[in-house]
Parts: sequence; C-alpha cells; structure tokens
Amino acid sequence: MRYASAEVRKQFFIDMFTRDISLEDCVLDLIDNSIDSYLLKHGISISQLIFGPDPNGAKRGFGRIDVTCNERQIKVVDRCGGIPRKRAMDEIFCFGHDPDDQAGKLGAYGVGMKRALFKIGNKFDIVSQTETEGFEVSLTIDDWAKEKDWRVPIKFVDGADSEKQAGTSITISGLREEVALRIKEGGVPNNILSDAATTYPYFLNQCVKLRINEIDVPPKTISLGESEGIVTAAREKLTYNGVRVNLAATIAPGQRTTEEAGWYILCNGRAVVRANKDDLTGWGPDLASFQPKYRSFVGLASFESDQPLSLPWTTTKRDINRESAVFIHTRNLMVTMSKPILTFLNRQYPSDAATEVGDIRNAVGGVKEVSFREIASKPTAGFSYTPPKKKDKKNDWVRFQAPIALLDKVRRHLRRPSLTPSDIGRYTLDHFVKTECGTD
Amino acid sequence: MSPISSSLRVQYDLRPAKQVERRMIVDALQRLQPAGFSITDYQYTGFGAIYFVDFILFHKLLGMSKLLSLERMTGLTTRMEFNKPFKCVDVKMVSASSAIPNLSRDIRHIVWLDYDGVIHKDFLSDIQSAVTVLPAGSILLVTVDVEPPEDYDYKQVNPDFDGSKEVLGPKHWKNYFEFQASTYLKLGLTESDFGRVELRSRTAEILKASFTRSIVPRAQMEFLPMFNFIYRDSHWMLSMGGMIAGPTEKRQLLSTTLRDTEYYRDNFDTPPFEIAVPRLTRKERIYLDREMPCADGWTPKDFDLDAEELRKYRDIYRFLPAFAEILV
Repeated sequence: MRYASAEVRKQFFIDMFTRDISLEDCVLDLIDNSIDSYLLKHGISISQLIFGPDPNGAKRGFGRIDVTCNERQIKVVDRCGGIPRKRAMDEIFCFGHDPDDQAGKLGAYGVGMKRALFKIGNKFDIVSQTETEGFEVSLTIDDWAKEKDWRVPIKFVDGADSEKQAGTSITISGLREEVALRIKEGGVPNNILSDAATTYPYFLNQCVKLRINEIDVPPKTISLGESEGIVTAAREKLTYNGVRVNLAATIAPGQRTTEEAGWYILCNGRAVVRANKDDLTGWGPDLASFQPKYRSFVGLASFESDQPLSLPWTTTKRDINRESAVFIHTRNLMVTMSKPILTFLNRQYPSDAATEVGDIRNAVGGVKEVSFREIASKPTAGFSYTPPKKKDKKNDWVRFQAPIALLDKVRRHLRRPSLTPSDIGRYTLDHFVKTECGTD
Repeated sequence: MSPISSSLRVQYDLRPAKQVERRMIVDALQRLQPAGFSITDYQYTGFGAIYFVDFILFHKLLGMSKLLSLERMTGLTTRMEFNKPFKCVDVKMVSASSAIPNLSRDIRHIVWLDYDGVIHKDFLSDIQSAVTVLPAGSILLVTVDVEPPEDYDYKQVNPDFDGSKEVLGPKHWKNYFEFQASTYLKLGLTESDFGRVELRSRTAEILKASFTRSIVPRAQMEFLPMFNFIYRDSHWMLSMGGMIAGPTEKRQLLSTTLRDTEYYRDNFDTPPFEIAVPRLTRKERIYLDREMPCADGWTPKDFDLDAEELRKYRDIYRFLPAFAEILV
C-alpha cells in the first residue's frame, strides 16, 4: 500500500480557521474560558444559574474578568481560578478536546482560545496561576508557523498564593493589520460590551463581573411576561440524547422594539441566537413573516448538557447547526408554541371593528415580568389568553329624546323652571319607582 | 332545474357519503378497543359547528365523554351552546392552532381537523402542531376540499385578481398550491400537474408530507396511516389520517382486525378508499341487504344492477344511513 500525503499545513490552518469568526466573537470565546474556569472551580451547574435557586450564590465571591481592547493589544485578565498545569500541558493548546478531559460548559470544541490568538495578533503571552501552581507561555505565531513542531514552549511559575488572586491573563499584541484597522475604525469595545451584555444574561452579576476597558458590563436580561389569570406563557420541555431542553414563549413586558422581538436560544446558558425572526425558528414558511405588530413576541429556548458537543451551537457560538437532531426535535415545538401568540397579537388589529380589541391591547400592555424559572416550573401547556370577565354593572344609562313641550309641562307642574332634562328624567323615574313599584 | 341536479341537492343536505365516512371511523375505533386502545377514555376534539353529528356518534357508539368542539366564528357562540347535544361537550371559541398546544399531554386524543376549504397553510401548521404535541396512541384525521381553489381563495395569492376578467385554471391553481404549501410539493411539477383531477393527488402528497415532516423529529415515533377516504356529496373531499405511534402502539395497531376491512389504508401511496354511494331505492336496499355480504360475482335476480354498483354497495352497506322523512 502506498500513502498520499494528507498532512495539515500550519500556515493554511492558521489562516483558514480564523476567517469565519468576528473579532468580537473571538474575544467572547476568551471570556467563555474565564467563565468556564469559574464554573469548574465552584462546581456550579448551568441549571442553577438559569433556573436557580443557587444555594451558594451569596456565599462565594464573584469571578472578575477585565477586557482591554485598544490599538496595541487585546487583553483578557480574569480572577476566576486559573488553569492547572496538567491541563496546560495536555489540553488547552491542543485543537479539540481529549475525550477524557473534564469538559467545560461553554468551551465546547477546544478551538476558541487558539482561534482568538491566531486571529487577533502575532504575539501572545499567557500567564495562569491557580492557588498552588502556575505557568507562562509566550509565543510569536509567525515564527511558530514556520516550524513543523506543533508543540508550544511553556514555563512553570509559582501559584498565586491566594484563591482570590488565582486567575489567567492573556495578552495578544502585534495586532494583525485588519484587526488593528477595525479597532482604529472605532466601535469594537462598544460591540464587545453590548455583545457580552446580551450573550451572558445568566452569568453576569450572578457569578462573574465583567468589565470592558474599565466599564462594567450590565446583563441584558431576556424579559418574559405573563399576567395573572389573563395571559399565560407557553412552556414545553424535552430531553434528547442527554440534552435538556426548556422552552417558553409569551408576550414580553413593557414597550418593545422590533429589534428585541423573536426567539432567543441559549446553549448552556450562553445566548447563541438573539431575537431571531427568520426560518431558523420557524418564521416565514412555517409561521408568518415577521411584522412590527409581532414586536411583543418573545421566545426562549434553553439547551443544556454536560457534554457541550451535544448542543446545537456552531463553533462560533453565534448560530445554530440546523442539522442538529436535538434542534430538529425542538424546532417543531417552537413553531407550535409561537403560532397561538401570533394569532393573539394579530387580534390587536382586526379587519372588522371587534369589541375585544381593547381587551387584547390591555392584555398585551398589562403583562408583568416573570422569570424563566417560574414559567419552566409549571406543567407543559400552550399559550393561553383568558379575556377578563366583564364586571356586573350596577348602573346603566337611560337616554332618550323627549319633546320640549312635555319637559316644560313637568317644570310648570313642579314649579321649578330651572330643572334640566336629566333632572326631570331622574325625578320622573324615582317617582314611578316609588309610587308604582313600592319599596321591594 | 333538472331531476339529476335536484337529487344531488337533496343528497347534499343529507350528506350520505360523509355519514358513511363517520360510521367507518367509528367502526375502526371500535376495532382498536380489543387491541388495548381504550377509545372510551380518549378525548375527541373536532369542529362540531351547530350540528355536532360526529360528537353524537362518538358519545353514543363509543362511550367517549371528553368531547371538545372548536369554533373560530364567534358569531356562532350562542347557537353552538344552544345546540350542544350533551353536557359533556365542551365548546371553545378558539382556533385549532390555539387549542392544540393546550390539549392535555396526559391522555390520548382523537383530533379531527375537518376543514371545509381547499388546502391552506394554516391547515398545515395545525397538522404540524398536532403531530408535534399529541401523545403516542393519539389519532389525527384531516379533511380538506380537493376541488380547484375558487376566486375567493385565489385572492390570497393575488389580491388584484378579477374573476370577471380572467377564469381560473391550472396556472392559477399551481400558483395557489405553491403559495400555500411550496415546501411540501414535489420538485419539478408543471401546470399539467395541477389540472382539476390532479389536485386531489397534489393535496394528498402535501398532507402526507406534512404528517411525515412533523413526526420525523419525534424520537421513536411514527405516523401510521389508517384512513385515506375520498368522497363527494357535492364537492370532492379528501380525508387522511392515522395514529401517532411508538413501537408499542405500532405492535398493538398491527394486531387489530382493521386489515380485514375494505376502508383501512396503512399506506398513503395506495389509492384512497372511494366512498361511492350507489343510487338505490329503499326496496332495492332491503332486497340486497338480505344477501349481504354477497359472494364475488353474485347479482340480484329480480332487477338489473351493474356489477360495479353492487361492489360499491357491498363495501359500504353496513355504514350507509337510511334517510326517511319524519313529521314532527
């Protein structure tokens, strides 16, 4: 048997696999790793964060992540526990995870950090210290790319001495020309901030605090609404191949913009798809095309697994793999859940003047924020709207036209020329009730 | 008006073919009981309108008492409530799309989406919802009109369409089907595939595809065909349906005597069962019934009857209603 060459060429590898991801998403990949360190160190499950209650939440301190982004360098420094030497030696510089490696929750593929390093700059310095041990790696990528050897030189250093100081620092310098250009163009730190705010609503200020260029990143929560006895959210759950899926779809509280409407998809708590309104989540052929009248629609799909590779995310974690079996299973449910909500929202704008329009608009405007946890804890059911019961009326209008001559006749009879027509109406009704109906 | 059209008009009011379909469905459900499907405990959800004919049959003949009738036309509320035949019939003024996700997942269902229009994207979305949420052992039936779409329908495709200037034909019908169900149609269809008679095949393909597409994502589940009726009281109508089944339900279904019936269809690729009601007098029916079920080739001695008519009668005589006038 002869063998044809099928080796991986380093330079091609570096150039190719950095093309399909944005600069911002590369930085988020590094943040993912920091969050993963924290989750691993404290044994926190994703369910605790999303569905709580998190019994130890108050006791443990926050992990801290600081991102610096300027025209010279991009730096991510965390105090989230650090990387053990063994993982540094055997795992983190490899492409893809070893099957025996204790997988993180957000680092699914084992490519995020390497791809970020290659994409952003020509030089990187990593220092990581757990409480007891540490290591350093400094590498110039262009030099490394010329060598056949895929290994990376590593130096051991001391631990951080205290749990609080334990963490990892990644500095990428010698920025690639196109990266430097984008940063120079402006807006990159703002993008990272807003992307992080919407990507980590279940992590920020729950387990980690994140700052971009010294600005705190507040979580941008995904708001779901219900109103007691009137609007109830649709909720479904299923488990497929070890992936736990929880779904909720409903009306969002407050004033909404069309940008916020749509489906949000979480993979292990990380928002992978935000405000989706296209075929991915059933809009278009299966439901209806999105229109501004649907701006109050919100759906939340959470996929959770201890094996992140089973989740339906793509490697950039910014999209869903449509060929994922668990997603195919879930998508029909998402469509089924959405349809009644769109029908309900359509009823705000009927083609004929219907009396219910006011009730529907009040219901849409009247929903109050409820947590995903609260919705998901209820048994599976579809969206429901119960029109408010009409209150039993105590009073009603009596209104009719009467000849002025007759009204004058009553005024003359009572010798009260100033009586208004409604006074006369009331007087004559009272009189009739008193004299004809009795006191019963 | 000619005598023929007049007799058709009378038939339409009484809808004998529809009634045969209902009776065959009842027969099928009765045949499921001994195999372990406790039909009595199933919930029936249908569109009872103001007549509730199917509800009366299912309650009286099958003992079902969880009955839900759906109606979108809020104008019919009081008439529906007034005409409710039994206390156990629940009437909800909501569309099927809103009601289906709220059907209990803890009991089995028979859902009959008995639409009176030609294929529509809303029907397909209802089918998708039902096949997605109904528990294993549940039965879904869908009835649609397979006549060509009319001016009113076509206006959904082209709101400017003017029926007084242009007559609808296969070109428009193709547009209509593509508008409502593009992703369910086979590739490469041409106008000639949308001729009047072809529309029932296209509709059947769409319904079949929608059952399949919706069941595929459910692990271990199949949509097992049971019914495929075509019949005509005035319009040609197509009814297709089957069971949402896991391996257990599949075994149970295969152990029933449904296979012995003429109407059972366990494959949507075989032609539908045509419910054809022969025109017979009461006297002829009494005579024929005494010989039923007759052997192949048997013919009545006392009057001439086409062999084909006789075969049709043999297929449906057990289910065919006898209409009579009562003076009340």
